[in-house]
Amino acid sequence: MLSVKELHVAVNGKEILKGLSLEIKPGEVHAIMGPNGSGKSTLSKALAGREEYKVTGGTVTWKGENLLELEPEERAHRGIFMAFQYPVEIPGVNNTYFMHQSLNAIRKARGEPELTSVEFMRLVRSKLKALNMDETLLKRYVNTGFSGGEMKRNEILQMTLLEPSLAILDETDSGLDIDALKIVAQGVNNLRNPERSMLVITHYQRLLDYIEPDVVHVLSGGKIIRTGDKSLALELEEKGYGWIQQEAA
Amino acid sequence: MNSAPNVLQHYRRLAADQSGVAHDWLSRRQLHAVMQVQELPLPDRRSESWRYTPLPPLLEQLFQPAEPEEELLYADDVAQLRLTDAGNPCIVLLNGFFMPGFSTLPDDGSVQIQPLRTALAGGDKTVLARVGELSGEQAHLFAALNMAMLGEGVYVRIPAGAVLASPLEILHISVSFESERLAQPRLLLVLEEGAQATVVEHYAHVGDTLRLNNVVTEIFLEAGAQLHHPRLQNESLRTRHLNSLYLRQAADSRYRGVTLALGGAWSRSEFHVGFSGAGADCGLDGFYLSGDRQSHGMHLDVIHNLPGCVSRSRFKGILHGQGKAVFDGNIEVRPDAQKTDARLSNDNLLLSRDAEIATKPRLEIYADDVQCSHGTTVGQIDEEMLFYLRSRGIPHAQAVNMICSGFADEIIGACGLETLENQARELLSRQLVQALSA
Repeated sequence: MLSVKELHVAVNGKEILKGLSLEIKPGEVHAIMGPNGSGKSTLSKALAGREEYKVTGGTVTWKGENLLELEPEERAHRGIFMAFQYPVEIPGVNNTYFMHQSLNAIRKARGEPELTSVEFMRLVRSKLKALNMDETLLKRYVNTGFSGGEMKRNEILQMTLLEPSLAILDETDSGLDIDALKIVAQGVNNLRNPERSMLVITHYQRLLDYIEPDVVHVLSGGKIIRTGDKSLALELEEKGYGWIQQEAA
Repeated sequence: MNSAPNVLQHYRRLAADQSGVAHDWLSRRQLHAVMQVQELPLPDRRSESWRYTPLPPLLEQLFQPAEPEEELLYADDVAQLRLTDAGNPCIVLLNGFFMPGFSTLPDDGSVQIQPLRTALAGGDKTVLARVGELSGEQAHLFAALNMAMLGEGVYVRIPAGAVLASPLEILHISVSFESERLAQPRLLLVLEEGAQATVVEHYAHVGDTLRLNNVVTEIFLEAGAQLHHPRLQNESLRTRHLNSLYLRQAADSRYRGVTLALGGAWSRSEFHVGFSGAGADCGLDGFYLSGDRQSHGMHLDVIHNLPGCVSRSRFKGILHGQGKAVFDGNIEVRPDAQKTDARLSNDNLLLSRDAEIATKPRLEIYADDVQCSHGTTVGQIDEEMLFYLRSRGIPHAQAVNMICSGFADEIIGACGLETLENQARELLSRQLVQALSA
């Protein structure tokens, strides 16, 4: 489904990813762990299509299509969703309006009928309920003045509404208390199904207590240096990243 | 193209012709204005307040006085251009002429609405004292011309203690068969002690001819009066719109003005604010949208001359294509104006390389116990915001439009009238869609 081969990505002329390869099959949840500066966020932004993250080598194929040729919105239309590590405040833009426009843009691109305001409100309320969130998020401007926890919840709400085929969670756990972490994990787990793939990027093992990955990768120095099952995450938690980096070197 | 002396001569002649008309009620001030026009120079770039204003659109034609041309207006046009419910009171001015037949005037005595000319002829003491009282001081040529050629105009008085239940709408409609007409609406608005009202103004057009609308508004807020005053300027793309607002606030009065400059080829909005009592509160909000072949100017002159008054001026602008704008915000705090609280901000979003903004906030403080601040920003669309929206499937142009609309909404949302706000949002969005697809 997602196939990343020998991916090289540079930011401001500096190479961050140095030949990263990864295969995610439908229904799989992959976790990418790694120390600060290993390139975790660079991978997620490159997959989402952020312009400043220049792909200098390698390929990324998504459902048989060359992902790297697509604009960010086209990637979203094809079912890719990234939950931001730092969601962006957009003052003056109502959150409900934004999510409605987003869902309709994706539906339109797929040739599906757009939702009216009434239909959308019904949908968003049902999703909020399933996530145990309250409606105050809907009335505010997009992420504006949101606490860290509210921002992440808002990301999960969008993910739940857009029902992506590939969800990338870019350190969604950072800065969250345990309650917020559980809501995030619940949102992710609710979406797990045999067709949907997920890439969970995290610095800590903690999130993986709640979201059980099928595969765990360790990213260091711009490459995946080790791949294993969920026990690898536990091992990292215990021993830190040092041993594995030494082993790889 | 006319030479400057020609243009000046033209307006001097127009003003002088007026003085020959025998009106019993011709006030001293009007005569004074006629004299002023004979002496004042044309606006030019050597004067600080006109330095960045493009002058040719104002001075290239010899505009001839507009007629009402009532036969060109239909009741349907009026209905379509209304910004508040049809049942609300509405004063219609056609090319600056008061049109009682098209207006919806309250008959419950809650408001006095009269043509200025009628009020003057009847010897109304308030009107005689106040018309031209504020606009006459340091007038530029066009403000003096408006007074010198005083036509019907409108006088609105809201009696002491009255609280208007619904907004009063003033609909200015431009329509003419001939090109190069000069309309000179004039409004005198008096809110007596403790009165409260919302007065909505809409500058609209039917058809499109090259013209100059030279508007003068004088507003007096007596002690404790409160006025909410949203204005939508949506003139045609060949209209020059010069709008001079003079505001005098008595003790503890409150003014909230929102000026949206969305149309017109050239517009210049002036705000002259002064206080006649302590503890008054003045809020000026403004938004301008300027694209190809458009220029907007916002000129503030807020004089804190008495203690304990508050002023808040927030102006925002979006410029695209070859759009131009000028923000010239001057706040002066005089020595006696202790405990003044004055703030001024101007934020601009530039969507193209060719757009141009000249922004010049000025704060002159001569008192020592005051709170004052000013700030200006000029920026482009935030790439992080853009990427966030696009990553959610929203196409580039639509995302830019959303960010711009959000930027403008702080001001548009301050109008407090849904129909007006939605119309402004739609105008903004439509113009941006065009600009971004070009």
